[in-house]
Amino acid sequence: MKKTVLAALIACSTSAMAAPTYEFDVTLKGYDGDAESSVAYSGQIARHALHNSLKKVVGQGDQAKMEQYLSSQASGLAIIDPASKDGFAIKQSSIDELSKGKDLLSSAYDGIITGWPGNPTGQELLQQLVEQAGNTKNGYDPVNGYDYVQLVSKFAMGAVFYNKAVNHYLEEKLEADQHPNNEAYKDGVPYTGKEHVWDEAFGYFGAPAHGLELTPEEVVQITKQNPDYFAKADANGDGVVDLKSEMAFAHAYYAASVDASAGTDYFHTIMQAFVDGRQLIADADGERLSDAQRTELKGYAATIATAWQQVIAEAAFKYAGSVYADLEKIAVIEEAHGDVSKAFRDYVKHWGELKGFAMALEAAGRDLGNAQAGLDRLIGFSPVLFGGAQVVAQDGQGGFVQANAGSMQEYKLNMIKVQNLLAQSFDLKAKQKDMTGGMSDVLKQINAAGQSAEND
Amino acid sequence: MLENFVLWLGGELVSAGSSLLDATKRVSVFYLLSALLFAALMMFWRYGSKGVKRLKPYLSWQVWWHPSARTDYQLWLANRLLLAVLIPKTLTQAVWISWLYFYWQEQGFTSLGLHWPTSIVIGLFTLCYFLVDDFSRFLVHWAMHKSPTLWSFHQVHHSAKVLTPFTVFRTHPVEGLLFFLRSMAAQSLVVSVFLVAFPNQVSLWQVFGVLVTTFIFNVLGANLRHSGVALSYGPRIEKWLISPAQHQVHHSVAREHYDRNFGVTLAIWDRLFGSWHKGHDDQVIRYGTGQNIDEMGLLGQWLQPFKDCFARVLCILKKLIPTGQKNAQPSKTAKGVPKWENVST
Repeated sequence: MKKTVLAALIACSTSAMAAPTYEFDVTLKGYDGDAESSVAYSGQIARHALHNSLKKVVGQGDQAKMEQYLSSQASGLAIIDPASKDGFAIKQSSIDELSKGKDLLSSAYDGIITGWPGNPTGQELLQQLVEQAGNTKNGYDPVNGYDYVQLVSKFAMGAVFYNKAVNHYLEEKLEADQHPNNEAYKDGVPYTGKEHVWDEAFGYFGAPAHGLELTPEEVVQITKQNPDYFAKADANGDGVVDLKSEMAFAHAYYAASVDASAGTDYFHTIMQAFVDGRQLIADADGERLSDAQRTELKGYAATIATAWQQVIAEAAFKYAGSVYADLEKIAVIEEAHGDVSKAFRDYVKHWGELKGFAMALEAAGRDLGNAQAGLDRLIGFSPVLFGGAQVVAQDGQGGFVQANAGSMQEYKLNMIKVQNLLAQSFDLKAKQKDMTGGMSDVLKQINAAGQSAEND
Repeated sequence: MLENFVLWLGGELVSAGSSLLDATKRVSVFYLLSALLFAALMMFWRYGSKGVKRLKPYLSWQVWWHPSARTDYQLWLANRLLLAVLIPKTLTQAVWISWLYFYWQEQGFTSLGLHWPTSIVIGLFTLCYFLVDDFSRFLVHWAMHKSPTLWSFHQVHHSAKVLTPFTVFRTHPVEGLLFFLRSMAAQSLVVSVFLVAFPNQVSLWQVFGVLVTTFIFNVLGANLRHSGVALSYGPRIEKWLISPAQHQVHHSVAREHYDRNFGVTLAIWDRLFGSWHKGHDDQVIRYGTGQNIDEMGLLGQWLQPFKDCFARVLCILKKLIPTGQKNAQPSKTAKGVPKWENVST
């Protein structure tokens, strides 16, 4: 008897301690198929694989291949990244094994992006960036200061994944009349409308299903396919990492990366909200969600959307710091009459990351208030180049027009302002590569006390 | 359009009203009561139960509803609305501090690399912040009295015939704007220098979201400064801290009190500038400027300073441009003549 009680207690405690994974049984009423799991987001994982591969292809400069991964929906595309390597075997090697007929471009944000000359829509901009990348050598344009590998990748993650998740699935699709929970998402599938809506948003985040069991550092190393972390990735122990449920992509990686370096908790906050929201839907047991349940669900969605936006803003903050440091380095090398080409290459790369993340913030239809205009103006349409030139517009043929915009060293001040603006507008916590000396915290204190217009 | 205006107006008025419950504002109920308690304890300690009678002006309905006090309230609300429009929205603290922070570094000023404990940095920063803030208030206030043009605007504050804690808001909008700029300049200077010298360690020592020195100042009766309760800190402390009685001296119409005690918290600035004057619990003081503006309402308070400035300009022009009439004299109006000129006549 004693043993039984003890065993029961141990069982209870381990089940209580085990972090929940993103796995949920079928609740759909009247479902008579064989499926046991109601979780499905393979279309989103296919887009992650398309994005990772597109990034590699842009770096190779092959225009036709870029278009294939961006918009072709063609069958037979290989997964260029993440691909199997020694000590880190990947289960799938072609996009079709994940999902067929998927592309990135048609899912991209179709609203205006004000941070690029000509105010293109998100879709137009993504298409344009890929086309322009094709006119460069390996995605690098030293004349205008563009690194298309970074611009395409960082912007695509925002315009496709972040946009579809927070602007679509976690927004309008949570309304009562959209994909109700007492009906199948579509005929023949084992999941309800709301289950699938939630799963699609989760898929776009890019976290492994067992993300709550992993530390941020482990998530980072899984994305990097570090063989030492293979066992951590291979949750079911079948000897291969299943991209559908065991890999970390895109913003999930960035969230974990920020957390691993700065001790913040973005990754687990988002992951937990996804699991809790999905559990709420599962607990409804195939019934229509009540208004109260949907309100609670929207609460989880808001947690996700806010933290996700912060992750992107944290990344932009960090790269604004890198751009600042690069400019300092360039000044030192110039003074010593050294070769600035490598430092300039880093500057352009980091600027591409900064710009890509900053435009990603705009690419989900969320109101950024005056932060949007601030970011657009401070960062500009290109980095400030030698001689003080900067891209200010595009001509009728799509070429970039440059004009004098002050010196590179003055542009450093803009980076300080960008960091302040990001820290204040998005309430950032990690603030990596802070070049402001911690200004935003002091500003917060002073602003809270208010300006004094009185004397005695 | 009208709807937006009404919403804005409502919002501003609600926000003004919320100052009464906001621990960061001097006129919050919390500090109004703490001042009363502080004064009661001091008076009881010095004069026993009879001393409590000295609090009467602070509690008197006749003071709080005096026409002069009502003008204070009107100016408080009206200035708030006007300054909401006048204060530049784009010249934020962040812009100033960012620019200065960058500027110092461009001039070769870098982190001191002292690796001091953060608590020491916070202490030092808070102290410097307080000193610069207090001195800049003194300096601008001093200039307000010394410059005839600035005095035209500052006389609004001195035209109060009774003092209530809300007299602190009885200012001309131009003075409000100047003090806003002062606050920006002083804060930006200290913050930017410290951010460069001690990166990532700078923080203010705050209590309930208020600078610790401001908190102590407010709890210990800042509101008594503008009140009829004469409370001296005694000769020794008054050499260092400006007491309510000393500030009341500053508001006095008496000749011997002119241009005395410009300081807010510290008395050392007045000693350095030779304008220090002691206070006394038994002092009897008449407030105001002794001129027509003392009787004016909101509009008069707003317009009179401009009229005075205009009269001064005319006066100067008349002196500069010979009119050909030998007996041409500047107008003899008493209105708007700066206080010290009044003294010498």
